[in-house]
Amino acid sequence: MTRTVTIFRKELKDTMRDKRTIIMLVVVPILVIPLLLGLVTKLAQVMSARAESDVSKVAFIGQDYAPELLAMFAEDSLVEVRTDVQVGDIETLIQDDSLDGAIVVPPEFGRRIEQDRQATVQIYFRSSNQLNVTERRMRNAVEAFDEEIVGGRIRRLNLDENLFDAIAVTANDVSSLQEVLGKTVGGFLPYMFVLLSFTGAMYAGIDLGAGEKERGTLETILSSPANRLEIVLGKWVVVGLVGFGSAILSMVGLYLGVQTVADIPQEFLDVAWSILNVKVFVMIASLMVPLAAFFAALILAGSVYSKSYKEAQSTLTPLSIVIIIPVVVGLMPGVELNLTTALVPILNVSLATKEVIAGTVDPLQLTLVYVSLFALAAASLWFCVTWFNKEEVLFRT
Amino acid sequence: MIRVENLSKTFKVNRRMRKELGDIARGGHVLAVDSVSFQCEPGRVLGLLGPNGAGKTTALRMIATMLRPTSGRFFVDGADGVANPREVRGRIGFLTGNTGLYDRLTAEEMVRYFADLHRMSASDFERRRDELFDQLDMHGFANKRIANLSTGMKQKVSIARTIIHDPDVVVFDEPTAGLDVMTSRRIVELIRSCRAQGKTVLFSTHIMGEVQTLCDDIAIIHRGRIFFRGTKADFEAQMTQPSYEDEFIHLVGEA
Repeated sequence: MTRTVTIFRKELKDTMRDKRTIIMLVVVPILVIPLLLGLVTKLAQVMSARAESDVSKVAFIGQDYAPELLAMFAEDSLVEVRTDVQVGDIETLIQDDSLDGAIVVPPEFGRRIEQDRQATVQIYFRSSNQLNVTERRMRNAVEAFDEEIVGGRIRRLNLDENLFDAIAVTANDVSSLQEVLGKTVGGFLPYMFVLLSFTGAMYAGIDLGAGEKERGTLETILSSPANRLEIVLGKWVVVGLVGFGSAILSMVGLYLGVQTVADIPQEFLDVAWSILNVKVFVMIASLMVPLAAFFAALILAGSVYSKSYKEAQSTLTPLSIVIIIPVVVGLMPGVELNLTTALVPILNVSLATKEVIAGTVDPLQLTLVYVSLFALAAASLWFCVTWFNKEEVLFRT
Repeated sequence: MIRVENLSKTFKVNRRMRKELGDIARGGHVLAVDSVSFQCEPGRVLGLLGPNGAGKTTALRMIATMLRPTSGRFFVDGADGVANPREVRGRIGFLTGNTGLYDRLTAEEMVRYFADLHRMSASDFERRRDELFDQLDMHGFANKRIANLSTGMKQKVSIARTIIHDPDVVVFDEPTAGLDVMTSRRIVELIRSCRAQGKTVLFSTHIMGEVQTLCDDIAIIHRGRIFFRGTKADFEAQMTQPSYEDEFIHLVGEA
């Protein structure tokens, strides 16, 4: 065991002195998330600013029945009112973007209001339109008009305003905010952790495997009393640590991003802070331990098979794309953590992270995720050691 | 002492290699070393000679326990190389033209790494390091990273790394290949000093000048088989050609 420690210490020292590894381990994870966060924030700002300043083209049908409401619309400089549209054309015009919305006032509107009864208006809009600005503008105008009418009625009858608000309703979504955001945006973050853990470990793994062949140090180390198992173990722990470190540092990057990027959309901030919560952080970190161990064994096996740095790179880079597939599957709607998905490597990390962030993780499923990940890490290490013992792999020509 | 008995090594070859090698690789296998036997004695230098591809490197890699023999046995100072490879690695120092160094370590760290792998005690390491660093004049660059050293300095680090644990047996595989005259000379001196200290020295080469000046015993290998084995005097006695080189070419041509 002491030789494994000797090899581990040497490889760690050697790796920490490698500029390429340090860039992938420290610089990339710490910078990538803040940059991405800044970009998303900027994009969201540009899009919402554009939507807010865009003029909504709204058809007003029945202008004769509610001239005051029409006047309120006309006051809004961001609404362009058209009164020449027929009811039957509304849907077509909205669909082909000639109109953003429409408001239809029925002929009995004025009469019902005068009789202190309830009148109806219909509004048309396309909910798939970005940010629903038109819908909001139409609703705001109608509600303002409604308040004006109701206010007038209350004053005329000399009544208490609260009489008409017998029940004040506060809307509460059954799923907590944490749950909703965790399940939607949360899926994106394990993608970063998983990918950065792999790419971070990749350079260290290439250097410790194929790098030995390229530098001609393979024979040097093989001629020492250390056996192959000790050599692989020492290297594997270092590569695993680097991968794990990249994932953890990407969380540091997330923290720095949240601290430094201005005006991050609230939804994003909420998710970021829910990850930066100690409990969630520890859970994600613990999921990354067996995953990084698995990646390390996989990378080392690929690396030691390659004859050169270049060959190892071209073998392992496509693997990083293969690794993204289960993560992307985890982002799809309807894919949930269950007893089956808990056994699918990488996908289970992505799904479990989502559940952990949402605070809805099932202990049995989580246990299964850990068991399957640790079993996978052990199997991949066994494969890597067997691989390292093969002469045709080490001395491949 | 090294005792090699009927050592053989067969390699599987892929389709591409099979095409390149033709008849030699019939059946998808190549016999790189074929029932090789020889013995190296303490205080003597055995030169393993052979042209490129003769099987020298494969034979030495088996003795260094990097490759497992297909059949046969060998012993290093009594330790069975097949049954107990780690013990053999602990007893030999192995240096080739290809044994590289870790660029990001310093000379001292590199040597210390191997001392630790040989489980030397701190005091033994320090004593031996000082001795070798004095002999090789390495103190000036002991704390410099290997990447920043000249070829000659690197060669000294390699030598110190190879013999830091003071092995009784040293194995050199074409140690002077690709080196300039000055650095080659240092290797020659190392071999001489190892012999003077009573160590067993096995080295492979195809440079006849080295054979003539250094070897006590000679084994000539070609196509995996040894076809001459004896002392330098035996070799000279059977020579029909005017020089070592001519004799070597003549023998290989006949084999």
